[in-house]
Amino acid sequence: MDFFSQELGVSGAQLLLSAEQTLFMVFVSLFLGTILGLIMAVTLVVTSPNGIIRNNIIYTITNTIVNTVRSVPFIILMVFILPLTKMIVGTRVGTTAAIVPLVIFIAPYLARLFENSILEVSKGIIEAAQSMGASHFEVIWHFILPEAKGSLILSVTTGTIGLIGATAMAGAIGAGGVGDLALTYGYERLNFPLMLFTVVILIVFVQIIQTIGNYFARRARRS
Amino acid sequence: MISIHNLTKEFNYNKQKVTALENVTFTIEKGDIFGIIGFSGAGKSTLLRMINALEMPTTGYVEIDGVNINSLSFNELRKIRKRIGMVFQQFNLLNAKSVYDNVAIPLVLNGVPKKTIDKKVKSLLAFVDLSDKANAYPDELSGGQKQRVGIARALATDPSILLCDEATSALDPDTTESILQLLERVNRELGITIVIVTHEIDVIQKICNRVAVMEKGHLIEEGSVLQVFSKPKHNTTKRFVRTVIPDEIPTTVKHTLACEKREYTILKMHFLGSNTTDNVLHHINKTYDLETSVLFATVTELEHTVLGVFIVQFIGNDLEVGKVKEYLLSQAVDWEEVEI
Repeated sequence: MDFFSQELGVSGAQLLLSAEQTLFMVFVSLFLGTILGLIMAVTLVVTSPNGIIRNNIIYTITNTIVNTVRSVPFIILMVFILPLTKMIVGTRVGTTAAIVPLVIFIAPYLARLFENSILEVSKGIIEAAQSMGASHFEVIWHFILPEAKGSLILSVTTGTIGLIGATAMAGAIGAGGVGDLALTYGYERLNFPLMLFTVVILIVFVQIIQTIGNYFARRARRS
Repeated sequence: MISIHNLTKEFNYNKQKVTALENVTFTIEKGDIFGIIGFSGAGKSTLLRMINALEMPTTGYVEIDGVNINSLSFNELRKIRKRIGMVFQQFNLLNAKSVYDNVAIPLVLNGVPKKTIDKKVKSLLAFVDLSDKANAYPDELSGGQKQRVGIARALATDPSILLCDEATSALDPDTTESILQLLERVNRELGITIVIVTHEIDVIQKICNRVAVMEKGHLIEEGSVLQVFSKPKHNTTKRFVRTVIPDEIPTTVKHTLACEKREYTILKMHFLGSNTTDNVLHHINKTYDLETSVLFATVTELEHTVLGVFIVQFIGNDLEVGKVKEYLLSQAVDWEEVEI
């Protein structure tokens, strides 16, 4: 029996595994969600009625998808799309299976945050880009995204913290993680020290992520 | 050469049709520094944006060096835009990029090799006198410095036309002066045609050779600066010109005139260039049986020519005044009678 088993009722290895699972779920779904979210956000901004490639149909479709997914609570979304999860990763349970609903959950969320970040870029900069003969892609790649970078990083930070919360619910499909540990071992076994410990771990996670996010956002805005 | 043909632009604003420009036609010659002046809402910025097709006309078209730019595909239009630089009132620099990278951006878009970019950016920064700020970021610069970066960026692709949208309106008078001098150098040393939109008449006075006056979407007056400034026709033009070249009798002088019992006539005279004011007045005093009194005088330099406005009271009978009028005409001095 090691220190953790004596004090918290779970082994150090188990704690470490939970932390790994949480980090794995957060970062894989964050990575995929950011790419998808960015694509959706850029689509929303450029096809909007004030955008550079106005397109009502694409805008309405994207907007509706984002709104629809965002209105489903994560725990329901997760079980609702189980068949899709099975199709994509071949299983309905486990840490990897949780990635699918996490990405579908976080991408539209990030898309909205990114949309706001991108809208902060002044119209004048886009006009300057167009006056240089930039193509639509160049306007986005060389002007909008670099200018929005600082704000986008902060949005990713906010999204990451939201993801950590969602991973706790992923325990419902056997994904493991720190949140699940707190529920099954802490709450259900009335193990208060373990609950406290996991809460502290989560607070530390969030603090670290926010600090890192702020640091890079500041650097991106200007050295 | 830029030819604007019957340009009309209508916007739909809250389901109401707003006409920003109506039937505007004029030509800008190569090498001109062409000023477009008007109060806000006159349509001058919309007009400027038509020249690089950032705005598309409702009817009419813009021709640059014989090419109708409104008939081009998007990709052809992009090529034309690369030959037209643009600077903005709010500078529109990328805040997340250094001065160097801001100036380099149009070249990066053109796929120019790094070494060539480096040489070009350095020479541009030297041209706008900002070599020491290459690694600074826009928020570390003053307004004037930001506009210099904006100008350097606009010149990066060696354009033949430079469009300036209220380029000095956010700057203080001293900085405005230095930016105008820079623009003049751009025109003179690089042979770039400049189109300036402004609501500041002194910008026109200081560097333009031609001017168009806009009001409520209409072009109300157009011509050489000298011509428009010396003989403004439209009331709006007169209001603009008066702020830099006052041509009205001061109120106190008017009060004094009210007490004048003798017969007199007041003439407002415009002396242009070679007309030497002194000689004319001297001749009048010596030759005619009149007493002259200068009520108001101003002398301004425009397009390197002197423009003098003199308001002179001629005390004497109509016959003598008539002779003076004839003499003035023979000396190619424009005059008009002024009533009080």
